[in-house]
Amino acid sequence: MSLPVLYLRSRALPRTAAALACTALLAAWAAHWLQAQPHLTHGARVPVLALAPLLASSAIGTSLYAAADELDRTAVRRWWPRRLAHLLALTVPAAAALALAVPGHPEAFGAPGMVRNVLGATGVAAASAALIGARLSWLPMTVYGGAVYLAAPRTPGGAASVWAWPMQPGPQVWAWAVASAAFAAGAVLYAVRGARRERD
Amino acid sequence: MNSTVKVSGLTVRHRRRTALDSVDLDFGPGVHGLLGPNGAGKTSLIRVLSTAAAPDAGRIELLGSDVGAASDHRARAEVRRRLGYLPQEFGHYAGFTVREFVAYVAWLKEMDSTRAAAAVERAVDRVGLADRIDSRMKTLSGGMVRRVGIAQAIVNEPELLLLDEPTAGLDPEQRVEFRALMRDLGEHATVILSTHLVEDVVTACEGVTLIEAGRVAYRGTTRELAALGKDGGQDERAGSPIERGYTTALRSHRATAGAR
Repeated sequence: MSLPVLYLRSRALPRTAAALACTALLAAWAAHWLQAQPHLTHGARVPVLALAPLLASSAIGTSLYAAADELDRTAVRRWWPRRLAHLLALTVPAAAALALAVPGHPEAFGAPGMVRNVLGATGVAAASAALIGARLSWLPMTVYGGAVYLAAPRTPGGAASVWAWPMQPGPQVWAWAVASAAFAAGAVLYAVRGARRERD
Repeated sequence: MNSTVKVSGLTVRHRRRTALDSVDLDFGPGVHGLLGPNGAGKTSLIRVLSTAAAPDAGRIELLGSDVGAASDHRARAEVRRRLGYLPQEFGHYAGFTVREFVAYVAWLKEMDSTRAAAAVERAVDRVGLADRIDSRMKTLSGGMVRRVGIAQAIVNEPELLLLDEPTAGLDPEQRVEFRALMRDLGEHATVILSTHLVEDVVTACEGVTLIEAGRVAYRGTTRELAALGKDGGQDERAGSPIERGYTTALRSHRATAGAR
């Protein structure tokens, strides 16, 4: 019984890793199926790029829940490096696996756009965990992502590259800026404050 | 008396409400009871002493190190290794057994992993749960969970042990065993026990600190508090001497606090 194993289990890491693996497989299958349709092109992968990061960020956000928060506060070691490592250890493989699920066409809706969306969505989920609690941390990004998916204009760029960043093609600079800022802010907020206390 | 816990000017606020109002206290080795009405500030005091929460103002010196708001992390880390804490409510991680939960806390305390496994078994044995050590936490009754909470608090053989309502949910026999354990621990450690059950204090504690509305209302030995209650007449229905002493001390504090 090695002790870091207990930490990993305490944060439901096996379950979260399984959920992320399933998301990646589902995304790969959906992207492949969409592209195989005779009347569709690689541009039809937009729903995969918009929705798979929502699932991944929900799994990561809810895994930040700390049931014995009050005892954790009296830990000898500082929490922020552990929290940051925890977040990165989930986000980086999730982004990599989902990027592999959408091969080709990096200039449109391919791997770069997927990585950007995973970072952005996870950042919002981590910030939500710090501000409203881990168990509901999936909600803000799901609502926002869903709304943007329905409301984003068909032509990319302009103001929409800021507010509709999850719906932009890969190379859009402003969409990257917003998503990176969201990830940085979420990671810092979560690392410093931890998930907000919740009552059972 | 060599004090292991010294606080001065300790102030804790929750939003606009003042939970502790410039409290000065000190405790040495032994078992100390912290009594007071609900909402008096007992939990706020225990949380600040456990370093789980930072005070809004004041100095806290635990086991010779300053751990107040401005202190550095290293001093706090050093104290945390030697500190045991039972919160009023502590969650537990899903799927953990008693052994795993207590081992997790031993890991939080950075205990030497070669020593931790034996320490976990000893702590669980001391609260009388040796036969349930590999049971899952969620299968335990409320009183058993409380005892696991005591086990995790004593796993590192703390020099300072803070217990918030440790006897809630324990049956009478378990309470008797708990008090014996406290007396045992109090021979070397400083044990601070917050409770609203006066009889816990009578049998387990030497010193009593009474807190009311964020201030210290009374300090003395258990015997002194009971003596205070002797003047209240011999009416059995008015409670035990210590209960009457508690009420008397509280009322006289309120009277003087109101006059200020």
